[in-house]
Formats: sequence, structure tokens, C-alpha cells
Amino acid sequence: MTAKPKRMDVLEAMDDLRLRTLAHMQRPLDRLIYLASTRDYNTGLYYHDGLAARFGEEAACEALAECHNEAMRELVTSSLEGLVGQMEGYMESARTRPTDFLGMWRGLEPYRVAVPVGTDPLAAGFLFSNFRVALAILDARRNVRPGLEPDASPRR
Amino acid sequence: MIQLVFFLALGLGFLGMLIFIMRRGRATPEGGAVALIEARGALDTLQGSLMPPELIGRIFEQQDLEYIEASTPAEVREFFLRERSQIALLWIRQVRTQLVSLRRFYTGRSRYYAQISAGTELSLGLNFLVLLSACRLLEVLVYVRGPFAAPRIVGATITRTAKICDFSAEKLEFLRPENPSEINRDRAGNEAI
Repeated sequence: MTAKPKRMDVLEAMDDLRLRTLAHMQRPLDRLIYLASTRDYNTGLYYHDGLAARFGEEAACEALAECHNEAMRELVTSSLEGLVGQMEGYMESARTRPTDFLGMWRGLEPYRVAVPVGTDPLAAGFLFSNFRVALAILDARRNVRPGLEPDASPRR
Repeated sequence: MIQLVFFLALGLGFLGMLIFIMRRGRATPEGGAVALIEARGALDTLQGSLMPPELIGRIFEQQDLEYIEASTPAEVREFFLRERSQIALLWIRQVRTQLVSLRRFYTGRSRYYAQISAGTELSLGLNFLVLLSACRLLEVLVYVRGPFAAPRIVGATITRTAKICDFSAEKLEFLRPENPSEINRDRAGNEAI
């Protein structure tokens, strides 16, 4: 992956990505995590077979990176209330017991590896801090309403 | 007594001016490239990542606090205030560090590259002094009273920093190539030679 892709190809790839894939993810948090998952942690490059087949690997990589940055910006500017709502929605869609989910997110802090490379430290620090607060809020809500705990086995 | 205070203040003022003039005299053009790059870097950091209104607004606006107060227990509120204070302090310290970098350029090297008169330099020095003091004050206020204690000082710091950034951007504009492709072409030509 050495040649620089044409800007037009990147823009078209971004439109395609937004229309076909990201449009199904309403929450910026879902988009951030999905786009981070298309990145190779050893090289920092993004891969998407469908996009690469249409626009070339380089254009696909840049399109994914730009959309990743976009999702990051949206999430950083979300209010705390918005972030809590997004995390609740994500937790429900993850099909994991909320206690397990909250425990894992607090312990592993997976959001730390979900931010784009080169994110400004202040913006990243602010987002991580908001995640910690959002987790505390969700945890507090669960402690207030223990009777609402769903069944113990993971949903299928 | 009033006269004594007056003459003391006058004496201190002269001493300050003397130090300022001595510092101006010590600066040499050697190593100027590093100073220029540092100044440009500081300016880019201030304009690019420390001053975006959406991010600063999100850090210092009370909207999140209102939400927390309305819907969460006291310990979550305390945790939130601690977290937000740390972010606010991080921002203040970063702004301060970059301002110190910019000031180093102005007090040391600016007259060689940016054609700044002594009067402008003095006024800039005063602005830097006010801003850096405001940053220190903000740090103390946030530390003692939390991140939402001084919205006016935050606003004033942002406005004044933005003015210094605009002025500096104009003075350091020559470091931005108008057409980078031309530079690359020149570089390629030189390498070929």
C-alpha cells in the first residue's frame, strides 16, 4: 500500500461506506467500534474487502480512516447524557449481561484502543473520562434497580 | 507612605524593563530554525487541538453537570467533578505550555524573522503575562472549586489566546509554503543535481 489514492476515489468510497454500512449504525459509538475493528493493530491500516474491490485498497483505507475520525468527533461532542444513552443501546445490542459488560468495560477499557491514531490527547482524554463517568452512571442505575436484572444466562 | 509605594512601583517597573532589554540583547540568530519550528508547533497545537470551540464548550459547559445532578447519586456527581477537573486542568496546563513556547519565540528570536517593533514586543509581553497569570489563576480555581468555577476567565483566556494566535499566525505565515508541490519539485530537482 504505497501509492496515494485519488481524492475523488476516497470521497466516493466514503459515500459508499456511509450509505451501505454506516447508515445501519445510528449511534456514533457503534460506528467508532466498528471502524476501529477494521484496523490492523500491527500496521494501523484499515481493511474492507468490499470497498477495496470497488475503489482499491488505498482509497478504502483512507475512507475508513476518515469515517473513523468523523465518528470520533461526533462522540467527543456528544453530551454525557447522549453518551450514556449510546452505551445503554450498545450494551443491549452486545447481548451480554449488563453486569459482565460493565465489569469488562471498566476493567479492560476497550474504548482506549477504539480511537483513531493521531487523535489529540486532550480529546481522547476527555472521551475516556466521559466513558468512565458513563460507566459509573450505568452502574449506579443498576444498583438502584437490582430487580430489573435480566436472566443470568447470555441471550441467544 | 503613598510616595514610597509609588517610587517602589516605579523602580520595579524600571527593573522589569531593564531585564526585558537585557533579554532582548542576549538573543542571537543562531539556532533560530529550532525556535521557529517550536513556535509554529506551539501555534498549530493551540489553534488545532486546544482551541476548538466545540471541545472547550463541552469541557466547561454546565450541561453535563445539570444532567448528573438531576439523575445520579452524590458519589457519581463527585466522581464526575473529579474527572472533569482533571480534564480542565489538562487543558489549562497544555495551553500554558504552548503559550510559554510562543513567548520564548517572541522574547528571544522574533525580531530576526517577524519584524516586530519594540513597542509591539512590549505589548505582546504584557499580553503573555496576563494570559499566563490567568492560566495559573484558573488552575487554582479549578483545583479548589471545580471545573465550572470560572467560566468568565475561561472565556477571556480563550479570546485573548485566539488573538495572540491570529497575530502569531500572521507573523509566522512565511513558514507555510503557498504551494507545497513546488517545494517538493525544487527538492527533487536539488536531489537530482
